[in-house]
Amino acid sequence: MAILVIEDEPKTGDYLQRGLSESGFAVRLARNGRDGLFIAREEEIELVVLDVMLPRMDGWQVLEALRADPATEGIPVLFLTARDEVEDRVRGLELGADDYLVKPFAFVELLARIRTLLRRGPVREDELIRIGDMEIDVLRRRVRRGGLPITLTAQEFALLHLLARRQGQVLSRSLIASQVWDMNFDSDTNVIDAAVRRLRRKIDDPFPDKLIHTRRGMGYVCDTEAVR
Amino acid sequence: MVLPRSLTLRVTLVFTLIVALAASALGIYLYRAFVDEIVRRDDIQLLGKLRQVQVLLGRPGAAELLRTQADVFRDTMSGQENSLVRILAADGRLLADINALGEDYPVPPSAGAAPGTAAIVTWSTRRGEPGRVVAGSARLGAGEMTTAVTVVVARAYAERSAMFAGYRRQIAGAAAVSALLAAILAALMLRRGLLPLRGMAAHAALVRPGTLAHRLDAAGAPSELQPLAEAINAMLDRLQAGYARLSGFSADLAHEFRTPVANLLGQSQVMLAQARSVADYEALTASNIEELERLARMIDSMLFLARAEQDEVKLQRRPLAALDELRKVADFYDGMAQERALALACTGGGTVLADPALLRRALANLLSNAVRHADEGSTIVLHAEERGGRTALSVSNVGPAVAAPHLAHLFDRFYRADSARSEAEGSTGLGLSIVSAIMALHGGESGVAADGARITFTLRFPAI
Repeated sequence: MAILVIEDEPKTGDYLQRGLSESGFAVRLARNGRDGLFIAREEEIELVVLDVMLPRMDGWQVLEALRADPATEGIPVLFLTARDEVEDRVRGLELGADDYLVKPFAFVELLARIRTLLRRGPVREDELIRIGDMEIDVLRRRVRRGGLPITLTAQEFALLHLLARRQGQVLSRSLIASQVWDMNFDSDTNVIDAAVRRLRRKIDDPFPDKLIHTRRGMGYVCDTEAVR
Repeated sequence: MVLPRSLTLRVTLVFTLIVALAASALGIYLYRAFVDEIVRRDDIQLLGKLRQVQVLLGRPGAAELLRTQADVFRDTMSGQENSLVRILAADGRLLADINALGEDYPVPPSAGAAPGTAAIVTWSTRRGEPGRVVAGSARLGAGEMTTAVTVVVARAYAERSAMFAGYRRQIAGAAAVSALLAAILAALMLRRGLLPLRGMAAHAALVRPGTLAHRLDAAGAPSELQPLAEAINAMLDRLQAGYARLSGFSADLAHEFRTPVANLLGQSQVMLAQARSVADYEALTASNIEELERLARMIDSMLFLARAEQDEVKLQRRPLAALDELRKVADFYDGMAQERALALACTGGGTVLADPALLRRALANLLSNAVRHADEGSTIVLHAEERGGRTALSVSNVGPAVAAPHLAHLFDRFYRADSARSEAEGSTGLGLSIVSAIMALHGGESGVAADGARITFTLRFPAI
């Protein structure tokens, strides 16, 4: 099972292939729509990342062809568009795409969307999350570390819960702003940094083993060690 | 009726029509007065004739003369062929009938010894020409042997119809000639009168992006065209200002892009010049990402502003509790505020009809600004107020005073009251422009006021 990337822009295609491979996915790269459609029909593909602006056969046509063929109609499609126009998004979703991203996008954002679409990756909906010596009781909204209770505000808890649920995944600042505060625009990155600093003072500062790690240029990740 | 598009043609037509109407009315009036006068004179003449016959009949021996020598009487009476005289006895017997034309005219009732013009009756000859007739009483003979008779005097005015017709033709001709003259004069005068307009058009045709400083000569224009010239000049003023702002904006944009791009280029080239450790490369890449993120944000903001200006942003307005919205944004900035020991106070209330995502974006931009510039340890007040259906949301903080000349420009793109500060903190210089674009989309407005060290940004929404 592989992710099929259909992208004609050489650099974009290369970095998507490399980034997704390094994130643990098998990746097939097609440089035009016709090749992409051929691969989707002939090989085992579990998700398509589709650029809309393609030579010869554009993304919309590829999407229509995918949805028209019983062999490929069930494959989730995430499309990429450079034009942030409402009509584009509506068109893509109407044609049967499952999600979209507007260029330029953060790679971690793409990764998060792909994982959500595949319902894979460690999204933990458990009532009790354990990471290292930290225990999060989701229902009672209680956090303990090394057996000691830690008092968090509602926002701090929401932030920690988001990071912990996606243990090991790098979360971009805009994803955090959107999920925790419902701020769906590229805001000040400093705001998220300050919020994370505040959370760290309670969760990490008193303990030698750190759980929340900064991935410079990408975002934050919660794990027992700063995994790559 | 479709009016012609040419102003000259239109005015000429109307003017000609007016002159034709006036000339015709005057002609008709003069003709009527002339006809009335002729008729009056004819009538006086007719009455004179009657009087003459009466006098003639009153002479001694007139009855005898009438009976025996009718031709003499006829000779005496007739001078003109068209004079018709009939003398009737009291019993209706015809005593004399001078009727060279053989006309058959009606006999009106006798109007006494001295009839006035009112007693005169109109009749029509066999050829359809007009005639007048009057009847009066007379005494035939003189002394004691007199008898009462009725005298009928009539006239046919054959030459009158022809004369009146000629007169009518003359008047119609004069009216037509004056209308034609009016048309020619009007067209000539309009051509002359519109010359300044042609001048203005020629001048306006010279205006190009590079020659926006050109102005029409408003003072030299005719007074009717002065408002137009002034309006065009005012438009040119606005265009010039807008154009200057746009070019300035493009220059600013290029400058804003140049700095991060120079950094990206420079530091990447320096790094590649020698072999470095993995950590160094990682640091470079991370630093590049930071610059690129800033560029991406700037592009995103620019696109948003461009779309907002073209009204391409679709609003999804909903009634929102204003205080809740303030609290949400305050919550978002809580961490940042705490680091500078700032307190965030949300007060007031009311409802605001707005697109939630855009309202949050506007408030976040204001608060981001306030958190940056507020004096450490001070309180930032977020206040909502509904008055007469209009809701105003404000964000105010205490900080370094902003000089009045800067205040007016705070919403301009890339305007920085303090150029040294924001650069380092990752601001794009477009935050407040976006606030003002969002308010314009909502039909509201954004404003700023400073009171000493307290600066207040207000978002005013229109009445619901």
